[in-house]
Amino acid sequence: MTTTSPAPFAAETGSPAAAEFREVTQRFGDFTAVDRMDLTIGAGQFTTLLGPSGCGKTTSLRMLAGYTRPTEGRILINGQDATTLPPEKRGLGMVFQSYALFPHMTVAENVGYGLKLRKVGRVDREAQVTEALEMVGLAHLARRKPRSLSGGQQQRVALARAIAIRPTVLLLDEPLSNLDARLRVQMRSEIRRIQSETGLSVVLVTHDQDEALEMSDDMVVMKSGQIMQQGHPADVFSAPANRFVADFLGYENFLTTSQGITLAIRPEHLQVQDTETDAVDEALNLRATVTDVAYRGVDTLLMLRARDPSGEEVDLLAETRGEDPGRYTPGDNLTASAPRHRLVQLGDD
Amino acid sequence: MTSRKPIAASLAVLGYMIMIVPILFVVAAAFTSGSSLRFPPEGFSLQWFEAAAGHTPFRAALLTSLQLALLSTGLALAVGVPATLAIHRGKLPGKGFIEGLFLSPLIIPELVVGLALFQQLIVTYRIDNFPVLLLGHTALLLPYAVRVTGAALAGSDESLEEAARGLGASPMRTFFSVTLPVLRPGIFSAGLLGFITSFNNVPLSLLLQARDTRTLPISMLDYVQQSYDPMIAAVSTLILAGTVVIAIIAERTVGFTRIFGGINR
Repeated sequence: MTTTSPAPFAAETGSPAAAEFREVTQRFGDFTAVDRMDLTIGAGQFTTLLGPSGCGKTTSLRMLAGYTRPTEGRILINGQDATTLPPEKRGLGMVFQSYALFPHMTVAENVGYGLKLRKVGRVDREAQVTEALEMVGLAHLARRKPRSLSGGQQQRVALARAIAIRPTVLLLDEPLSNLDARLRVQMRSEIRRIQSETGLSVVLVTHDQDEALEMSDDMVVMKSGQIMQQGHPADVFSAPANRFVADFLGYENFLTTSQGITLAIRPEHLQVQDTETDAVDEALNLRATVTDVAYRGVDTLLMLRARDPSGEEVDLLAETRGEDPGRYTPGDNLTASAPRHRLVQLGDD
Repeated sequence: MTSRKPIAASLAVLGYMIMIVPILFVVAAAFTSGSSLRFPPEGFSLQWFEAAAGHTPFRAALLTSLQLALLSTGLALAVGVPATLAIHRGKLPGKGFIEGLFLSPLIIPELVVGLALFQQLIVTYRIDNFPVLLLGHTALLLPYAVRVTGAALAGSDESLEEAARGLGASPMRTFFSVTLPVLRPGIFSAGLLGFITSFNNVPLSLLLQARDTRTLPISMLDYVQQSYDPMIAAVSTLILAGTVVIAIIAERTVGFTRIFGGINR
C-alpha cells in the first residue's frame, strides 16, 4: 500500500524520521487550519510545535494521532503511510491537556490499559505498570482513583499511561497548561529527563515560548497553518526568520533602516546612555525620549520614543539592569544604542 | 448556612410541609382500626394492610405495573442510550431535530398519544393491551433516557474516548470499557426516573387498560370510585414504602447528588 523508503532522514537533524507530514492540508469548512505543511519529526528528538492559538499546532498533532484525517496530503509514521490508519493502529502515546484519565479505573488500571489491549500477561503487565509509574515517581499511588490525585499527579499518571505502551512517538498536547507556575517549570525538566532516559521521539504542542526553548531539540514555529521557522531553539532564538517569529520570541523593537531592511532588537540588548556620552562605536545610535518607566525589581523597563534610520517614529522598549530606578523619568532625552551583533535582520513574513 | 438565608430557609420548610404533611395524613389513616378513611384514625391496626395485600385486583395490577415499568424502562434505555451517543458524539445531520423527536413525548398530551394508540393498535389492529401499553410507556420514557444520559455524556470528557483509542482500543472496545462505565451513573438515574414515571403513570395506562391488564394506579382509581375505605390509604402507604426503599438503594449505590446532579448539569 505504500512505497517503503527504508531510511528516511530528516533534512535538518540528520536523524531518521519518526513521522512526516507531506503537503498536509486540513480544512474545517471555510477555515484552513493547516495549509500544505511539510514537516519531519526526527526520531529520538524532542520536537515542539510552537505558536499562538489557531496556528494549527493542535490540529497537526491530532492529525498525527489519527483523531482527524487530513483533507489533503499524507502522514507517514516510521516511513509507513499512516494517513488513513485509525488511532488504535498507530501505536502513538498521547497526553491530553485535560489528562483524560479513566475515572472508573485505578491509577494502575489506567497505566495498564494499553498493555492489556496488547495482550501483555498479568505478571509482565504489573511489572511494566510499576516501571512506568516509578519513572514519574508515583508507584505508591497505584491503587488510588484519579479523582483523589492532585493536578500534577494526574498529569504524571497520564504521562506514565502514554509511555507504558512504548509509543513510536509520544504526543503532548499542552500538557502543562493546567498546572501552576512552579509545578510547570518542575515538570518541564522531568519530561525532558524521561525523554532522554527512554530515548522516545516526542512532539510537544505549546503556546509558551519558554517551554519550547527549554525543552526542545527541534522547534517549529507556526502561524495560520504554516511553518514560519524550524530549527534548534538557540538558532531560532538568535536568528528569527521574520517579524512574526521575532515578535513571538520576545523581540520588542523593530526598526527600518534607510535601505528598507527590518531589524529586530531584544529589549535587554538595547542600551541607554545619557545624551552627553556619545557611543560612536555602536552600530545603532538613536536619540530617544523616555515616555514611561516601569520598575520590575530585577530590572527597569524604559519605554522610549525615537526616530528610526528611515525617519519613522517608533516606540522602543529597553530593559536596564542594575540602574537606580529613579534615574530616568518621562521626558528625559537619551541615546539608545545596540552593538552590531545584537541587530537581527528579518526576512518577510 | 440556613440562618444566613432566612427567606430561602422558610420557603424550604414550607415546601417540605406542603409535600409531606398530606402524605402523613394518608399514612396515619392507613393504620386505623375503624372502617372509614378519616383523620385522626380510630385506634391502631394492620387490618387494612392485610386486606390490601389480599385484594386480588391489586395484586394482579401490581404485577402488571412492575412488569410494565421494568420492560418499558429497559426498552427506553436500549433505544435511548445509543440514540444519545449518536446525537452527542456522532456526525449525524439534523442532530437537533432528532433530539427534539426523542424529547417530544414530554410535550404531546399523553391522553392524545393514548387515544391514538388505542384507536390504531387496539381497535383497528386488535393488538393485545399489554404490548400497546408497553409501546406507549416506552415512548413516554424516551425523553428521560435521552435527556439524563445526554447530560451525563455532556459532562464527561470527550478526550476519554480518544485516549482509549490512542492506547489501542477499537471503537467497540472503547464503548464497553470507557464510554459505558463512565455513563453508568447517568444510565442508572435515567432508569430510576423512567421506572418511577412508568409506575406512576395514569393517562396512558387509563386509556390502554383492559379488564385483566390494569396497572396499580388505575386499579386504585377504579377502587376509589366504588368504595372509599382505609384500604386505599394502606396501598398508598405500601407504595410510599417501596419508593423509600428504592430511594435508599439509589442513595447507597450511586448517591442522589450524582443521580439528580446529572439533570441540572
